[in-house]
Amino acid sequence: MEKYEKLEKVGEGTYGKVYKAKDRASGKLVALKKTRLEMDEEGIPPTALREVSLLQLLSQSLYVVRLLCVEHVDSSSSLKSTNDSSSKSNLYLVFEYLDTDLKKFIDSHRKGVNPRPLPPSLIQSFLYQLCKGVAHCHSHGVLHRDLKPQNLLLDKDKGLLKIADLGLGRAFTVPLKSYTHEIVTLWYRAPEVLLGSTHYSPAVDIWSVGCIFAEMVRRQALFPGDSEFQQLLHIFRLLGTPTEKEWPGVTSLRDWHVYPLWEPQNLARAVPSLGPDGVDLLSSMLKYNPADRISAKAAMDHPYFDSLDKSQY
Amino acid sequence: MEFNLENPLTNLHHFNDSLFLVESDHMISEDYLKTLKTRDFDFCLRREALSSILEISCNFDPFLSYLAANYLDRFLSSQEMPQPKPWMLRLLAISCISLAAKMTKTEFNLTDFQGRGDGGLIFDTQTIQRMEYLILGALKWRMRSITPFSFLCFFISLFQLNEPPSIIQAVKARATEIIFRAQNDIKLLEFKPSIVSASALLSASHELFPLQFTNFKNAIFNCSYVNKENMLQCYNVILQQEMVMDIGYDDESEIDTLSSSDTPVNVLDRRFLSSSESDKTNGATITTTDTSTTAATTTWLSPPNPNPNPPPPPPQQPERDSKRRKIATGYCNNHRIQLSQTQQQC
Repeated sequence: MEKYEKLEKVGEGTYGKVYKAKDRASGKLVALKKTRLEMDEEGIPPTALREVSLLQLLSQSLYVVRLLCVEHVDSSSSLKSTNDSSSKSNLYLVFEYLDTDLKKFIDSHRKGVNPRPLPPSLIQSFLYQLCKGVAHCHSHGVLHRDLKPQNLLLDKDKGLLKIADLGLGRAFTVPLKSYTHEIVTLWYRAPEVLLGSTHYSPAVDIWSVGCIFAEMVRRQALFPGDSEFQQLLHIFRLLGTPTEKEWPGVTSLRDWHVYPLWEPQNLARAVPSLGPDGVDLLSSMLKYNPADRISAKAAMDHPYFDSLDKSQY
Repeated sequence: MEFNLENPLTNLHHFNDSLFLVESDHMISEDYLKTLKTRDFDFCLRREALSSILEISCNFDPFLSYLAANYLDRFLSSQEMPQPKPWMLRLLAISCISLAAKMTKTEFNLTDFQGRGDGGLIFDTQTIQRMEYLILGALKWRMRSITPFSFLCFFISLFQLNEPPSIIQAVKARATEIIFRAQNDIKLLEFKPSIVSASALLSASHELFPLQFTNFKNAIFNCSYVNKENMLQCYNVILQQEMVMDIGYDDESEIDTLSSSDTPVNVLDRRFLSSSESDKTNGATITTTDTSTTAATTTWLSPPNPNPNPPPPPPQQPERDSKRRKIATGYCNNHRIQLSQTQQQC
């Protein structure tokens, strides 16, 4: 790891610390993501091997944060007692560094010296890139399962949006609490996940994309719940309490209870500055029944993007 | 999540065009290919390591051996190994197999790979792990290898065969055999995996459906990802290879001259063939092939031939060849069974 000069800790990712660092040889900034590996009797843990190689394959897309290389650091070599059976080794995933993320970007438009809406053309461009990145992951059979503005990194100069924190989801499962015991945000979690469905489909990511879309327009979260129950109530109050008719099987999900019966509200009122095409796309991303939710690929062809010059993506 | 050679992504339903865009990342370098063609030393080194892999992993799925050999090639392509000791090649082979087993989610124990005819050469877990990381670094963690197998279903779908599934499976099975064999022929290493895949299928359909061959050929030529010229070159190399095979089967007196071109005889006995050829490179001539395991493995700890230009192999006797084929087929019977199982997937 002497190749890199650690500059500062930039985050506590769900699976470990993230550092901003400089590649000593090239002077380029990188993000180092530290992942602890349990020692395995058979060498490299197979799950880590499969996850990281999948990440490597996925990061070929322009809309996924590029994995530059992987460094393995065996901490047992620095320990005095070599027969320490609890010795751990670390895997550093070296990613390209981007200086901001969508959460910070939205925050800077909500508060600060010059609060202002995000330009509609920028929302359109970011959403298109997000759909493209998600479509890329889904076409590789990979669900992100934790899409949120903090996980979408931005290159402000080039106007690029890239998906981060990807791929490690399967081996480590989406935790309720991160390893630092920070509560993992529920705001972007699909209703089927909140209701305890064990079968995940790509639609869980589309729900998150819808929430992020609305948040770019509103500059505040669409469903800011602070518990799984509150999260569901937020959703039901806006979209109406789901029924068996629109979502067959919903009342048989593991965590389904009897909820107050809310009528659906007009979604357009939650995103007042969004035009009818945008509202239509948003509502097709926020369909209750996962099978009815639009796919990432289909979303890219939605009329909302008709005014976008797609050739540049 | 486990890695399947026919489907390197984890998406079970759709072929992904992006494979065509990234397949070159999974090939050996042109420099290494040139070295293999011009320097006997490197050629023999590769062959020794390859036969080591095939020997150790013989009791596993042939796709596992194939994947391990793919890692081996890409590792050798990225690293200079000036004077490797036999134990280094052995360690390299074991580590490639271990990585391939983990990627394919194959149940295994490292001890399965050790102590098999290596004269008691046992590596500890840490040594193997270190080698694994060395390989991972060299391969840039691109362990979901894109191989000719990755494109089989895609090209078959282009054929639009109006034939019963059993016949489609026969074409695929034949192409699979050809692809397994292609790994051994350095003349085929220069072609992109998709090109080898298409050529293997074309060659299989030429054998099995000669009447529809032109349709198949046109279907593949119409695919925008396929470079016609490369494809024809590759197809011709495969055709030559298959001709050698046919002659080998039909008229055993011919195989002597042709087998000196280092073309392996059959996917099912390639393990055996390559290990007995490595005997030759070590200067040992073992003519008793009845005890296949001992004959194939006794020379592992003998020093590599210091002479970079090994003497030409002694002429082979026809009986020996036929005997060898028989034994090897019997020895790796489970490979045949697994092959037929894997053909159910398209």
